[in-house]
Amino acid sequence: MDSAAHTLKAFDEERDRVRALISEMGGLAEEAIRESIRCLMQRDLEGAARVVEQDRRLDAMEAEAEQRIIELIARRAPMADDLREAVAALKITGVVERIGDYAKNIAKRAPLMENVGGIEPIALLPEMARIAAEQVRETLDAFVARDAEKALAVCAGDRLVDDYYNSIFRALLTHMMENPHLIGPSAHLLFVAKNIERIGDHATNIAEMVYFAATGERPPERPRGLDPAAAR
Amino acid sequence: MNHTLLAPAPASADEARAAKIDVRGLDFFYGASQALHAVDLAIPAGAVTAIIGPSGCGKSTLLRTLNRIYALYPEQRAQGSILIDGRDILAPGADLADLRRRVGMVFQKPTPFASSIRDNVGFALSHYERLPKAETADRIEDALRQAALWDEVKDKLGQSALALSGGQQQRLCIARTIAVRPEILLLDEPTSALDPIATARIEELIQELSDRFTIVIVTHNMQQAARVSHRTAFFHMGRLIEVDETARIFTNPRETRTQDYITGRYG
Amino acid sequence: MRWILFRRRLADIVALCFAGLATAFGLACLASILWTTISKGGAAIGPALFTEMTPPPGAEGGLANAFYGSAVMVLLALAIGTPIGLAAGVYLAEQGRHTRLAAAVRFVNDILLSAPSIVVGLFVYELVVRPSGHFSGFAGSLALAIILVPMVVRTSDEALRLVPDRMREAAFALGLPRWKVTARILMKAAMNGILTGVLLGLARIAGETAPLLFTALNNQFWSASLDRPLANVPVVIFQYAMSPYNQWHALAWAGALVLTAFVLALSLLVRLAARKGRHG
Repeated sequence: MDSAAHTLKAFDEERDRVRALISEMGGLAEEAIRESIRCLMQRDLEGAARVVEQDRRLDAMEAEAEQRIIELIARRAPMADDLREAVAALKITGVVERIGDYAKNIAKRAPLMENVGGIEPIALLPEMARIAAEQVRETLDAFVARDAEKALAVCAGDRLVDDYYNSIFRALLTHMMENPHLIGPSAHLLFVAKNIERIGDHATNIAEMVYFAATGERPPERPRGLDPAAAR
Repeated sequence: MNHTLLAPAPASADEARAAKIDVRGLDFFYGASQALHAVDLAIPAGAVTAIIGPSGCGKSTLLRTLNRIYALYPEQRAQGSILIDGRDILAPGADLADLRRRVGMVFQKPTPFASSIRDNVGFALSHYERLPKAETADRIEDALRQAALWDEVKDKLGQSALALSGGQQQRLCIARTIAVRPEILLLDEPTSALDPIATARIEELIQELSDRFTIVIVTHNMQQAARVSHRTAFFHMGRLIEVDETARIFTNPRETRTQDYITGRYG
Repeated sequence: MRWILFRRRLADIVALCFAGLATAFGLACLASILWTTISKGGAAIGPALFTEMTPPPGAEGGLANAFYGSAVMVLLALAIGTPIGLAAGVYLAEQGRHTRLAAAVRFVNDILLSAPSIVVGLFVYELVVRPSGHFSGFAGSLALAIILVPMVVRTSDEALRLVPDRMREAAFALGLPRWKVTARILMKAAMNGILTGVLLGLARIAGETAPLLFTALNNQFWSASLDRPLANVPVVIFQYAMSPYNQWHALAWAGALVLTAFVLALSLLVRLAARKGRHG
């Protein structure tokens, strides 16, 4: 949905650089999500340590992106859709960085996962994480392409992640009641599931920003998954 | 002076304000070539309306129909109607002198008359009103104060206006125009010949004046339109493409052509 | 390559030499005229020149009546010619900018501008002197006025056209009527140019001789009447220079010197006015 190129080529170049930066950040975050869950499941402590280390790169990229966007606003005086995109970009970099932090948090719990093999609900986690990571990828693709439709699809897809979370939550609760000696690891798993659910929410937040940047309007009310608080 | 509340197209809270100037179906011709096509535009009272668009889109042409200054040139003519306070100024019997008294115009290049500052401001004033000397002096001071020029020239009112700087001369022209107490001010790219500081002062002046006057400003500087106006109209090739609140035009315009122009994708 | 450069330099120097020589030649002629006028005329300069009347042959005297007569005729010519010229100039510049009438008027004006002044004198002779039966100062003034008018028309037309259109538009946008715009604003803006034109015209008609020969002729005695032949400097110079009398020669040179000095002073005045106009 991209319109004609700007008369001033430098504008297009700078904007494309920002988009590329955000895209790269998204790639890093996506990778972090997948890696952190894998290391958790396979108890790959070195891998987990690498994930934690990589998060610093994501932080640095956020700072760089922020700097570039501020300069773009100052020098190019963007208007209308360009302005909305610049503001959205600024907010999105912050959100992607937070997604990275969640992934780091998951990786940090890896060393604490002894004998979790017995906990059944853990089997759902990789799939949930895969979907969440895909959401992140899709929403950032939508941003770069200024695709409002794609953004709406991401919002709708969050239901799936929410449903996964509710399911894992209930299962873990049951498991904890039946296996009190496994409460420790189960609790950690609960947090991991929550983190992934939050990642999904953030992906949806980004999608809403993308929709606004593309159309100038707020997206229609999104359907939410069942409220876990009511799931008792 | 009767205020007629003219109803323009879709009503927003803003458009429901009294339309001071209502342009309806305006066509304009330079000889055989048509410069404006069926323009419909309502300009609200007590606000600043900016007219933007690429070169040759007809924005200055439109401005010059509002006080019929084009009538000086026989090969230029306008068709349609322009209602100011409900009265059509293009009608055959319309009073030109009265129109030009109620509608003042400031031009792109400052054009002070070749006389003293006092005479510049007081000249038209004494043409319209027979005032005692003291009152004339008061009116001159009032106009210069409103134009934010009084402090700089109060000690040298008798000096030639040509000795002032460009920014001061332009403010003098503004003072001269508002001395006769018009209701509408037409500004044709008033700061394009001035440096940034003088420009900023005049933009501030426009903001101050916008309470008391209806102001229409033509500018090729989009940032200026964004800074000073409440409503913005975008013209392209002699046609009105879009008119809306300034904030909306510059954050989320409806028309692609408008967006292309203001984001620098035009041409 | 060096040969080309050398040739260019050579051509440059040759051209400069020619230009310099031409200038020197022109300046030399001018200097010679001035020197002759000053040296020959300076001898007769004195208070007597301005107080005594033109003498009979062989006697001493002055040019008082000639100065007076010239002044009167020139001033009257100004009074007649300037308003007419200004009015026509205003018409050409303001009302009839692109009309066919204006083009025709300009064309005729340019012809009149270069019309031989003796023809003008003849014309006034036929018109005024013959019917009235005698030469007169009035006829002289008329002839000078006719020479002055095209000059004023030309310069005021140009001066007014130099006033930018924006100023007209600005004045009209204030709602001022046309006559006020022209009279009070445009004239003021063009005043410098108009004044220059008038002064230059004055300088020219002060020295015109041929038309006066047919109209005012000359008068040996004091006369203040415009109805009779009136003494004037150019004709006096003409008569005295061709005479065999030494005193008359001296007076002629003196008259020439005064006339030259007057024109010089006027030109300086024009320059000063122009400079002041730029900085005003």
